[in-house]
Amino acid sequence: MRALVAARRWRPWRAAVDAASAQPALRLAVLAAIPVLWIVGANLAPLAQMAAISLMERYPVPPGEPVAWTLSHYAAFWERPLYLNAYIRTFIFATAVTLITLLVMFPVAWYVAKVAPREARLRLLLILVAPFWVSEIVRSIAWMLVLANRGALNLALSGVGVIDDPLPMLYTHGSLAVGVLYLTSLYMLLPLYAAFEKIDDGLLQASANLGAGPLTRLKRIILPLARDGIVGGCTLVFLMAIGLYAMPQLLGGPDTTLFAVTIGQVFSRGGDAWPLGSALSILLILGALGWVGAFALLWKSPRRSG
Amino acid sequence: MRGGWALPLWFWLFVAYLFLPLVVMALMGFRDSNFVAFPIQTWTSRWYTGVLADGDMLAAIWLSARVALWSTLLSLAVGLPTGLLVARTCGALRALLIASVVLPAFLPVIVSSVALRMYLGVIGLEPGVAAISFGHAVGSVPFVVIMVLTRIEAMGPNLADAARNLGADDLIVFARITLPFLAPALIGAFLFCILLSFEDFARSFFLGGFEPTFPVLLFARLRFGFDPGLAAVSTLVLVVSVAVGLVAERYVRAKGLRP
Repeated sequence: MRALVAARRWRPWRAAVDAASAQPALRLAVLAAIPVLWIVGANLAPLAQMAAISLMERYPVPPGEPVAWTLSHYAAFWERPLYLNAYIRTFIFATAVTLITLLVMFPVAWYVAKVAPREARLRLLLILVAPFWVSEIVRSIAWMLVLANRGALNLALSGVGVIDDPLPMLYTHGSLAVGVLYLTSLYMLLPLYAAFEKIDDGLLQASANLGAGPLTRLKRIILPLARDGIVGGCTLVFLMAIGLYAMPQLLGGPDTTLFAVTIGQVFSRGGDAWPLGSALSILLILGALGWVGAFALLWKSPRRSG
Repeated sequence: MRGGWALPLWFWLFVAYLFLPLVVMALMGFRDSNFVAFPIQTWTSRWYTGVLADGDMLAAIWLSARVALWSTLLSLAVGLPTGLLVARTCGALRALLIASVVLPAFLPVIVSSVALRMYLGVIGLEPGVAAISFGHAVGSVPFVVIMVLTRIEAMGPNLADAARNLGADDLIVFARITLPFLAPALIGAFLFCILLSFEDFARSFFLGGFEPTFPVLLFARLRFGFDPGLAAVSTLVLVVSVAVGLVAERYVRAKGLRP
């Protein structure tokens, strides 16, 4: 640090600094170079390339041949029930997961933000956040051990005599949903918590004093005021759920194949399947955008208290 | 408001849902058998000690550690100037910048992974350590930018203005005012990126070469045959991850971010 202070008295450095401050445009260019390069080169270019590949007959283009453009890969999506079924199933599954996550996390977030003693809140949040520093694979392993035929839950249930034969719980939509909730709950908790924390206790108190029951307060005060948190949390969870790749292969079964896994299978077929895989990926993005946009629009008008 | 007993009960049930599977996993690591199943009749510590003798597993963990370090350094090198730039913009330009910076965090991860896989040839990378590190950095930069931005907004312009009035030029302001103020956010972002990279599966799977990262090796072994050793090594990694995560939380929340 001291060297730096000394360096500023060094004449060439001085001249450079003077030149830079005389030219605000140059300074901005230096400051903006890395971010702009990264945004274009790492965020936008791969997507643009994928969109382009999805329209090509073949990729890589054989040397010496012109690029042949086609919509046939998008047509393949409509013609193969395999793809369409997985696509529809994925959107239904992700919507269900989003709703379940919202219903489970709403009371949890409300408890931490509003009911628990103020000084305990940070500690309670940390308890909830701690298991999230673990990979999707490790968490899948944990749930496999709980839900397997000879797993912990079946042992416990037969131990208390509820069941005689083990329940087949693993490799179903249910086991997948239980595992996925484990991944998504934090992404719902944090936006909800932030939104609830901002709600003025006085409003709730006043409405209660004026005779509003719990349901009325929920409908007229909490939901409108927490709208941004709810929409934000649902968006995050939904986008996460439609992209799941590893957990469906570990906790799901043959009838729970999600579209992300379908895309992965297409890509593991090798280079000549890239255009088809790209088209499927673009369709997944478009569907997700439409779904999320529709959700935000549906619940557009927050009730203003009249 | 006071909710009675139902809300606390729901909360603690949810905490049990979070932690019991992890306890089950830790216990399974002690089972004296080559197969995973309950009940555990005889106990052994051989799976936990055996991790140290499992060369492939250690190599995968080492690869993950190297990838985590490189991707984190790259994320910080990009995220810090990006956060500083965004902090200086306003209006529509700012909204556009933020949207294009956080874009990868909102893409379904499978789409981001395969798009980057096809993009590797364009930037001249082969699948391998460099490619995975690049892919992880793409996923981590949004979080670094958000953390840097939050911290800078908390700082306000006064400190830097005062230093300038006292004759400091931009570089001195940056090195002696901005950077020290940003330090907690940067340390937090560093640990956060390490964890994000270490736990990633999809990007590593599609961008990796023949050597697997830790999650990729776990995934492959799960398909071969599930022995208590996998539960043991997962538990060990879990303990370290949670510890690092809690430290990261402390730095992110440090000093005045939240009153």
